Amino acid sequence: MRRYLSTSLVMLLGLTVVLGLGYPALVAGLAALGLGHQADGSLVYRDGKLVGSQLLGQSFTDSNGNPLPRYFQPRPSAAGSGYDASSSGATNLGPSNALLVGFVPGVNTVGLDGSPSKTNPFATPADPACVPTDPKGNPVTSPSRGQKYAKNPDGSYVCDPNTVPERAIAYRQLNGLAPTAPVPVDAVTASGSGLDPGISVANALDQAPRVAQARHLPTDQVVALVHRYTAGRQWGFLGEPTVNVLELNLALDRLS
Amino acid sequence: MSGWGWGQLAFVGAVTVVGASLLGKYLAATFRGGKAPGDRVFLPIERAVYRVTRIDPDSSQRWSSYALAVLAFGLVSTLFLYLVLRFQGHLPGNPTHAPGMSPLLSFDTAASFITGTNWQAYSGETQASYLAQMAGLVVAQFTAAAVGLAVALAIVRGIGGSARTVGNFWADLTHGLVRVFVPLSIIGALVLVGQGAVQNFHGFSTATTLAGGTQHIPGGPVASMEVIKLLGTNGGSFYGVGGAHPFENPTGFANMFDLLLVIVLPFAIALMFGRLIGRPRQGRAIVAVMAILFVGHTLVSMQAEAHGNHLLPASVSQVASAQNPGGNMEGKETRFGPDGSALMTVGTMGTTAGATDSALDSYTPVGGAGAFVGIILGEVSPGGDGGGLYSILVFALLAVFVAGLMVGRTPEFLGKKIRAPQMKLVVAYVLAIPIIILVFGSISLVVAPGTRAILNPGMHGLSEVTYAFASVTLNNGSAFAGLSANAPYYNTLLTLAMLAGRFVPIVLGLAIAGSLAGARVHARTRATLDTSGPTFVVFLLGVIVVVGGLIYLPMLILGPIGERIVG
Repeated sequence: MRRYLSTSLVMLLGLTVVLGLGYPALVAGLAALGLGHQADGSLVYRDGKLVGSQLLGQSFTDSNGNPLPRYFQPRPSAAGSGYDASSSGATNLGPSNALLVGFVPGVNTVGLDGSPSKTNPFATPADPACVPTDPKGNPVTSPSRGQKYAKNPDGSYVCDPNTVPERAIAYRQLNGLAPTAPVPVDAVTASGSGLDPGISVANALDQAPRVAQARHLPTDQVVALVHRYTAGRQWGFLGEPTVNVLELNLALDRLS
Repeated sequence: MSGWGWGQLAFVGAVTVVGASLLGKYLAATFRGGKAPGDRVFLPIERAVYRVTRIDPDSSQRWSSYALAVLAFGLVSTLFLYLVLRFQGHLPGNPTHAPGMSPLLSFDTAASFITGTNWQAYSGETQASYLAQMAGLVVAQFTAAAVGLAVALAIVRGIGGSARTVGNFWADLTHGLVRVFVPLSIIGALVLVGQGAVQNFHGFSTATTLAGGTQHIPGGPVASMEVIKLLGTNGGSFYGVGGAHPFENPTGFANMFDLLLVIVLPFAIALMFGRLIGRPRQGRAIVAVMAILFVGHTLVSMQAEAHGNHLLPASVSQVASAQNPGGNMEGKETRFGPDGSALMTVGTMGTTAGATDSALDSYTPVGGAGAFVGIILGEVSPGGDGGGLYSILVFALLAVFVAGLMVGRTPEFLGKKIRAPQMKLVVAYVLAIPIIILVFGSISLVVAPGTRAILNPGMHGLSEVTYAFASVTLNNGSAFAGLSANAPYYNTLLTLAMLAGRFVPIVLGLAIAGSLAGARVHARTRATLDTSGPTFVVFLLGVIVVVGGLIYLPMLILGPIGERIVG
C-alpha cells in the first residue's frame, strides 16, 4: 500500500504541473492566435471605453431601477440585483411556487390565516393571482393571523411585482399594450444565468413602438434595426433566433 | 416540441452514431495492447511518465491490487485537492481574491471532484481561485475520467478475457490521459473558444453600461475547464450557473457540441468493449440499450418543457412560433429555447456529468422527472466514461441470471458461467446505491437541518432533497438548486454519499471481474442464451427499468408525479 501511495503522489504532482498549468496555458496561447477577441470575453468598447460584452446582458434602468423607455429591455434577471455578472444565477423557483406563478386558485392559494383555500383572498381587480406584500415590500406566501399588509390608496393589496402575472401587467403598461394582449413568455421569466444577452423577436417587436416614440424615430426604422440585430438559428436549425439587446441599443444610440 | 427540436435531436443522434463508431475503433486499437495509432507521438510521452514514476506498465495486476491502486490514488488526490482549496487564499493565481474554503466545504468539494460528481456547494466566480480551478479542480476532472475508463478496462478484461489478471492501473491511467482525454480536450477547448467561451487569466474587468451603471465582467481559464467537465462526464463548471452562462456556452451550436462531448465517449467505450472481447455485436447490443433509454427520458422532458407551465396566465404566450420560442422559459436561456435546453440538460442526466444549461428546479414536474429517471436508472444511458459500461455489464449479469432462472439453465455471459459468488456481488452492487439514497434521503426529511434548507414548499421540496441524494450517490452532481446545500448537515451527508457511491461500485465491479478472470470459457451451443440479439436487448431494458425504476417509485409518486396531478 505504501508503494501505491507514493506512486500516486508522484503521478499526481506531475499531472498537476502538466494538466493544471501547462494545458490551460497552451489553450490560451493557441486561442490568442486568431481567437483573442472571444477568449477575452467578446468585449465591446465605445469611444475607447469598455461598455460591456456582446455575450452578457446588462440592465437598462435608471438609478431607481425603473426601465428606461428609450432602450430595449432585457429579460428579468436573478443575477444579484439584476445582470450582476459577478453573481450569475437563476431564481430556482419551482413551477407551482407562488413567488413565480402567483396564487393560482385550487393549486397554491391560502386563506388569510395561511390555511389552504379554494380562492385567492388577496386578488385585486387587475391581478387575480396577486401575492400580497408586507409593509416592507417582502412577499407574503404563508400568512398568519396578525400579519400586516401593504395596501394601495383604494384599499386593494399591493402585489409582489416579481410574479409572472405582475410582470405581464407591467410589460403591457410599459409598452402601451391592451390589458389582454399576449405577452411573449421570455419577457416575463428570468433566464438560467441571469445574464441572458438575448430576447425573442416577438419581445423586441412588442417593444419597438415604445422605443421609437421615446427616441422620436419612425417605428419602421426601429423595426428594421431589430431585424438587422436578430441572429437566426445557427446553421439554420441549432438553437433559437434571438435579438442581442446590447448591440441593438448601441446601434440606436449611434442613430440618435 | 417544434420541428427544430426534432432536428436538433436528429443531429445529435447522427453525430453520435458516426463519432462513437470512429472513436470506438480508435479506443479498441489503443487499448488492445501492442501497436496503436499515434504511437510516434504518444509513446515517448508515456515512456517519460513511466520513467519518472518508476512504473512497469507490463506488470499486470490481480483485481485486488488494481482496486487498492485505485483507492490509493483516490485518497492521495482527495487530500491534495483538500489542501489546495483550503489554502487557496494564500496561494498565487488568485486575481479574484477568493478566500480559502472552510474545512467542510473543502472536503465536500474535494470529494465531489475526485469522484467525478462535481456537486458544487460553492459558486465559482467568487469562491474558487483561478489556481484552484486549474491545478486543483481541472486535474481532478481529468483523473476522475481516466480512472473511470481504467476501471472499465480492467472489468472488461476480467469478464471477457482469459488471463487471471486484469491489467495495470497506472498504465491504463496514463494511456487514457495521453491518448484520449488530453488531445480531445485541446481540440474541444479551441472549438468552444471559437464560439465565444472565454480563456484568459485576468480577473474582473469593470465596464460602464449604456445606462450608466457598472458591470464587473468575469474572466478566467473557462474553456479549458468546460471541455473536460463535459468530455470527462464530470459536470463541474467554472461559473456558478454552469452551462447556462454565456461565457461557457455561448451559442446554439456550442450547446449541442457540449452535449456531444458528454455522450459520444461513453457510447464509444461500449463499442470498444465489443471489439476488445472480439464480439462487436455484443458492444452494439449494449449501445442499443443505452440509446433507447437516452432517447426515452430526454424526449419526455423535451415535450414537457416545450409544452410550457400551465399555471402561468393564458395571456402569456408559451406556444412556439417563428418569433417566439415559447415553452417553459423560466430558468432557460433565449438562445437555447425549451427544446435545446431540455435536450442538453436532460440528455446529460443519463451520464455522470449532470451538466445543465438551464435551472432544473424550475422545470415542469414531468420535465424534471425525465432528469430524475435518467439518474435513477443507474446512469447507463449512456453513463459516465467507463462507469456507464461497467454498470450496464453488472445489469447484464443480473439479466442473464434472471433469464437463466426462467429457463432453468446455469446462466452464462460471454461463455463464462455465472454462479453464486458472482451473483452475491452483483446483488450487492445493485442494492448499494438505492440503500444510500433512500436512507440518507429519508433521514433528511425528518430532521430539522434537513428540512430547513428546502426552498420550494410541498412536493417540489421532496423532489429537491431526494434528487440531491440520487444525484451525488450516482456521481451526477446536478441539482434542484433551490436546496441550500452548503450547510454542515448536507455537506457531510452528501460527501459520504458520493464517496460511497463512487468507490463501493468500483470495488464490487472489480471483484466481480476478478472472480470471473481466468474462468473457463464454454463453447457456444444451440442452448446458449444469445446476449447480443434483440431479445436480450429488450430483456436487459426490462431488468434495468424494473430494478432501477421500481425501487424509487414511491419517491417519484410523492414528488414529481404528485406535483403534476395536484398542480
